[in-house]
Amino acid sequence: MTLRALRAVVGARLRAERRSLAFACAGAAIVGFVQPHGITAVTNPLTADIATRSVWLAGPMFFCSMLGIAIALLQGPGRHAFLDTTERSAPLFGRELARAKALAPVLYAAIATLVYWAAQFLSGFAAPPAFFLLALACVFASTLVALNATVTTGLARVLALLGATATIVVAYVLAVYADAYSTKSGDAVGVATELIVCAGIGFVALRQYGELLARLR
Amino acid sequence: MHILRFRDATYVRDGKAIVAPANFDLAPGERMRRACGNAREAEALAMMAAALARATSGSVTIGEFDPRVQPVHCKRIAAFVPHDPLPLSQIDADRYIAYRAALWDIDPVAARTRARKLHHALEGLHEAFAYPIVGALLPLPQLLVLDRPQPAFMAQILAAADCAVLIVETAGA
Repeated sequence: MTLRALRAVVGARLRAERRSLAFACAGAAIVGFVQPHGITAVTNPLTADIATRSVWLAGPMFFCSMLGIAIALLQGPGRHAFLDTTERSAPLFGRELARAKALAPVLYAAIATLVYWAAQFLSGFAAPPAFFLLALACVFASTLVALNATVTTGLARVLALLGATATIVVAYVLAVYADAYSTKSGDAVGVATELIVCAGIGFVALRQYGELLARLR
Repeated sequence: MHILRFRDATYVRDGKAIVAPANFDLAPGERMRRACGNAREAEALAMMAAALARATSGSVTIGEFDPRVQPVHCKRIAAFVPHDPLPLSQIDADRYIAYRAALWDIDPVAARTRARKLHHALEGLHEAFAYPIVGALLPLPQLLVLDRPQPAFMAQILAAADCAVLIVETAGA
């Protein structure tokens, strides 16, 4: 697939869903501003660490991932039938098309997450950059898993959506607890664990999406 | 020599036979009309002919290729024009041509020039119906598959297409 074709597919998808992006960004900005960031006073540093991580990561990970899932579901057939038909009739392999089609919702979700972070920053509670990375990895993985729901029906669709939700929970637990309990080895271990798990889930989900797209009706 | 060959090709969806066994050949440059019982059958047959749908049984060959094995090769030969018009409220004509040119890796300037010529040849046909045909003919396909096209402008469409054409219609259209 040429870079030009990739840009065309992503550009057309982004333009087609620009209103949804505006709503997602507006929602992210509002929730980023109003989300509580404070924790109760604790003396144990480990408890304080976990409390801080759980409060600061819950908002961006759960809310932005839900936005990502919603945006992924908008890529389903029927909403932009002319884009679906044109992309399917183009001489592109299923995996190439899957990568291009997946890039649009992932970019949207990334923008919404960035807006959420900006809102947090402006409200005076800027989380460290590692937290942004953790949230972004979770958003990407859950969005990619949710994309599978757009090309399946029945039980398979339900399973894809459950998988996307489970991805958020697993990533959150890893981000909060693996990070907090790996303080002896440094934060890098906890961060890396969550990133590797999300990258693995995202990779498998993208491969599966490509396989499903490659299957002709 | 044939550009499209159907041999006992059927299409079954959710346990229902949509396309009954179809047998026909289309030679390069030939024009053929196929009448189908209903819109669903017409759409499925057109999509099978353009390598967008896989035959449940039997075989379809486009050029020398089997869409089940080499769908990308088949899509370089066959161009598909859907029944639905282009939603011009969502994408304007110039952007649509640039989009198609990028997907088929056609030089943008050459695509614009060819699109203008084709659009001129389809004068009178509403843009929403004309541009999908213009877009389909941009990469110089060897086979054009029209899913229930506008019958009033058939002569213009056939004149603009310098390749084999399969027109799939519903009976009585």
